[in-house]
Amino acid sequence: MMTTLVLDNGAYTAKIGYSHDKVSVIPNCQFRSKTARLKTFTANQLDEIKDPSGLFYILPYQKGYLVNWDVQRNVWDHLFGKEMFKVDFADTSIVITEPYFNFSSIQESMNEILFEEYQFHAALRINAGSLSAHKYFQENSSELCCIVVDSGYSFTHIVPYCRGKKMKDGICRINVGGKLLTNHLKEIISYRQLHVMDETHVINQVKEDVCYVSQDFYKDMEIAKLKGEENTVMLDYVLPDFSTIKKGFCKPREEMNFSGKYKTGEQILRLTNERYAVPETLFHPSDIGIQEMGIPEAIVNSVQNLPGEMQPHFFKNIVLTGGNSLLPGFRDRVFKDVRSLTPTDFEVSVVLPANPICYSWEGGKLLSENPDFDEMVITRDDYEENGHYICEEKFDI
Amino acid sequence: EHDKKPSRSQEASQRRILDCATRQRRLNRQLDALEKDNFQDDPHANLPQLVKRLPQFDDNNESSKKRKKTRGDHFKLRFRKTFKHFWKSSVSEGPNYLTACAPPSKLPQRHFCAVCGFPSNYTCVSCGARYCCVKCLGTHQETR
Ligand SMILES: [Zn+2]
Ligand SMILES: [Zn+2]
Repeated sequence: MMTTLVLDNGAYTAKIGYSHDKVSVIPNCQFRSKTARLKTFTANQLDEIKDPSGLFYILPYQKGYLVNWDVQRNVWDHLFGKEMFKVDFADTSIVITEPYFNFSSIQESMNEILFEEYQFHAALRINAGSLSAHKYFQENSSELCCIVVDSGYSFTHIVPYCRGKKMKDGICRINVGGKLLTNHLKEIISYRQLHVMDETHVINQVKEDVCYVSQDFYKDMEIAKLKGEENTVMLDYVLPDFSTIKKGFCKPREEMNFSGKYKTGEQILRLTNERYAVPETLFHPSDIGIQEMGIPEAIVNSVQNLPGEMQPHFFKNIVLTGGNSLLPGFRDRVFKDVRSLTPTDFEVSVVLPANPICYSWEGGKLLSENPDFDEMVITRDDYEENGHYICEEKFDI
Repeated sequence: EHDKKPSRSQEASQRRILDCATRQRRLNRQLDALEKDNFQDDPHANLPQLVKRLPQFDDNNESSKKRKKTRGDHFKLRFRKTFKHFWKSSVSEGPNYLTACAPPSKLPQRHFCAVCGFPSNYTCVSCGARYCCVKCLGTHQETR
């Protein structure tokens, strides 16, 4: 029986699942741990590491592009293999994502690996944002345009789509993503209180647990300066020791000791302005010296470079995807800033889907159920007859 | 340079005034650091050679896996290309990787204290870093 495997192959996580089944989010990388000194862990084998302090990452992507194929193969062998998806390649089509403006040599390597090494029956290479746009248009069939904001691990893309076609002239990349935010938080904490430069895994969790997007940046700065209980931004985070404390957590406010002294042996991080100043980098990259527009300004700039009659349609269909859009306050802040930068007679609407990380995977699932799907893929026979050329011709990449 | 080393109060007199190019290089170094995957060494890096050579533990040893090789060495070579290599060779007409980068913001630059992160009004004369008060200037001079 023919099946379709949808793989949104992100630089940090792979969103993978059969189109008739549910999606799994799995680390798209390998790990080495200080405690298991002879083993390299692949993808979800991360769960086997009991003490992930000082976890060493081996990633297939560099700056958002797939360059380390040995690592990618190891992860795919694991995902496609009998431990996980048990892919029957001869009877499986794959929908696989790649970044905007992917380099042709990477695309050709991808073709060779999918068709010649794994020997998938057929493949569709597509941008994750195009799958998101497909889902958005399916669910909002009266809308003509949308603008997909994909803020992931490596960077943030702003991409306008009109009637399902991406508008290449409007594509804008901000070189700020979740990896940069985590590294930035690591540096700040290491400078101000505790050396955590080796603890990417732990501090990434801190980021997910404590960071938020400010709605009023300078007001939060004033609050974060206050002493004692009045400082509602201040938070004490209990770091995991991976023996008694398996996972870090925020001290409940009623248990907080505002003098900062705790009798227990727990290791505490005291966080104030870093909670919102780190995510602020997405909105003002120039705060840390990256001379690029932030997300709201780049959205407005991108739309203003498109034909005038289309512009109102984009402003009322802004879709947020990618892990950073899960930061509390992200949607409201994008709305607030875009609203303030846009003429008042334009309607502005910003949508945060229920699962912004898997939104494009869901789009891929929908696409594979589309009656035209068979026309969109390249079969292995097509590829063997025509080579890379046929993929370049057919895929809108 | 982020570590609070014991030798904190080094001779402040030795501090020289950094020129523009040096400041820019320093900023670039800081931004490059934000791209790094790891700051620590690979935990496998110091394993004794003997252990390293045991094939079952060598994850990058391709020959240990029964893999259908397609284009042999040519294949491998291509995969060795680095990121820099890629975008340097990607000069194309119309929108591309380089043109897609967000332009500089039209909003005014904001300044934050290099020590505490709060808004700052003062600039360190020797290195151009920002600070917000005498206390933070002191910490800055001792630690950077
Ligand atoms: Zn300060
Ligand atoms: Zn200075």
